Amino acid sequence: MTDRVTLTLRAPLDESIEADSIVPNAFASLGEAEIGTLPVWAGRARRVLADYFDIRGSRSTTVRIVGDVRRAHGIATGMSAGDLVVDGDAGSRFAVGMSGGRVDVLGSTGDEAGVAMAGGSLRIRRDAGDRVGAGLAGASRGMTGGEIVVGGSVGAHAGARMRRGLLFVSGDAGALAARAIIAGTVIVIGCVGPTPAYANKRGSLVVAGGVDVPATYRHACDYEPPHVRLALTYLARRYDLSFGRGLVEGRYRRHCGDANTVGKGEILEWIRE
Amino acid sequence: MYVNGVFIDDTFAEAFPMRAARIVVTAVNARWAREAALKLTGFATSVIACKCEAAIERELEPGETPDARAGVSVLLFAMDTEGLGKRLVERIGQTVLTCPTTSCFDGLPTAEKRLTSGRSLRVFGDGFQGSKVVGSDRFWRVPVMDGECLLQESFGVAKGIGGGNFIILGADARSTLAAAEASVAAIATIEGVILPFPGGIARSGSKVGSRRYKSLAASTNDAYCPTLRPLTASSLPDDVDSVLEIVLDGLDEESIRQAMRAGITAACLPGIRAITAGNYGGKLGPHHFPLRAILDGHAEGQAPA
Repeated sequence: MTDRVTLTLRAPLDESIEADSIVPNAFASLGEAEIGTLPVWAGRARRVLADYFDIRGSRSTTVRIVGDVRRAHGIATGMSAGDLVVDGDAGSRFAVGMSGGRVDVLGSTGDEAGVAMAGGSLRIRRDAGDRVGAGLAGASRGMTGGEIVVGGSVGAHAGARMRRGLLFVSGDAGALAARAIIAGTVIVIGCVGPTPAYANKRGSLVVAGGVDVPATYRHACDYEPPHVRLALTYLARRYDLSFGRGLVEGRYRRHCGDANTVGKGEILEWIRE
Repeated sequence: MYVNGVFIDDTFAEAFPMRAARIVVTAVNARWAREAALKLTGFATSVIACKCEAAIERELEPGETPDARAGVSVLLFAMDTEGLGKRLVERIGQTVLTCPTTSCFDGLPTAEKRLTSGRSLRVFGDGFQGSKVVGSDRFWRVPVMDGECLLQESFGVAKGIGGGNFIILGADARSTLAAAEASVAAIATIEGVILPFPGGIARSGSKVGSRRYKSLAASTNDAYCPTLRPLTASSLPDDVDSVLEIVLDGLDEESIRQAMRAGITAACLPGIRAITAGNYGGKLGPHHFPLRAILDGHAEGQAPA
């Protein structure tokens, strides 16, 4: 047993691989050689982790991936415990169905990071692609718990169908952010693209940088929402983020909607003063 | 034993188990947090008639509160968990929910036993309420006329201790009050302890029951009333004409011990003749705080010349 397992990419990936066997909690009972035999798929070819990675360490749920793994997809699928650090970019479908533990991606991720997440903490220091925190294809619910903190911008459909949880984006969000959210909170410090919070039931989309509020939302009031203050304070402390005082203490314009559905959701638009 | 010339009686304070909650109230500024906390802890001196005992534990800096606003930490004690739950709903609902700009958080996040007081209070929102999960905790957003009141869903329950005490015997009312005030100031710096009586001081120390009125649960502690010295079996030395009591509730024995040590030491001022404590011969509760053992090695002085 060692204090961590380190997977070092031996050479740049010249093909996409499906690496959903890299799950920290699954390493808890595996020795170095056993980890090396875990399956990896390259198209229809079944390979093993040791074909791509030098593996150091055993029987630990603390895992570090060194190297550019943006062509490795499905990492941390179903992760339920442990710590994972990715020392660069990661591929698509990252941390799908994650239910516990902590993940820190020092670069960016592809599409569908944190899809169907149920718990734990997923931090992406740079950008994430489309459908971050959304649901699996055809599923009625997106993420149902946990936190996703993105240091850069995200693509379209961020947080789509979210049922519970917190998605925080330091940069911008693409079109249809918070689409059909059932509940939960999406906070975007930058701007959001067209048609935000479409078919929002009871969720919150908080936007600081600019939002084109759909006509199906009605202005309620300008006020200081205590839950936004609480969430931003929590994020600042937990993830060592810094916000201007105006964001934390400031006023927000509350728009109730989406009138297309039950209409108990909201878009909170920061008022720059 | 003497501390600064004040005799320390060879006796012990007897305390009993209670259930405790710590409530953190925040507001737009310290003034409004304090306003809410003062109402929250109003009429909560003794479980005998108030059903709970509560007081401000300390004021909190923005860096110490969940929403980075000025706050106040309150400890509330009741005899059992059920009673504690009722008091939390009543008091938070009537004093924090009603107070402008306030939010209400749990101050015992690691306690396993929880009371869902915030969930009970959410129905004031009449269906317009909503909830948010931040971290691992749920908070209710109850719409009110100045915006929203944020209430944490559940509050931790701790096994607390009630009825810690010491009694200050002074030569006159002025010096006894000054000593009690010094005691309260010294204890105010200690976490996990409250003094539920007005200004932290009780003058109407009581005994169990009544010698004349059978329906009374408690009546005046005649043995410590200077005006009754010739009329009852007085416990007062001849040179004592005023007595005040400090009653302490705490989250654990060590907090009470520490507070009693600080309070007694601070109370040993000129004009004070002795410090004693109230007990019922060990029959009331399992928590005993012997005065001399608490002070042993921490404060000792000579007997007056």
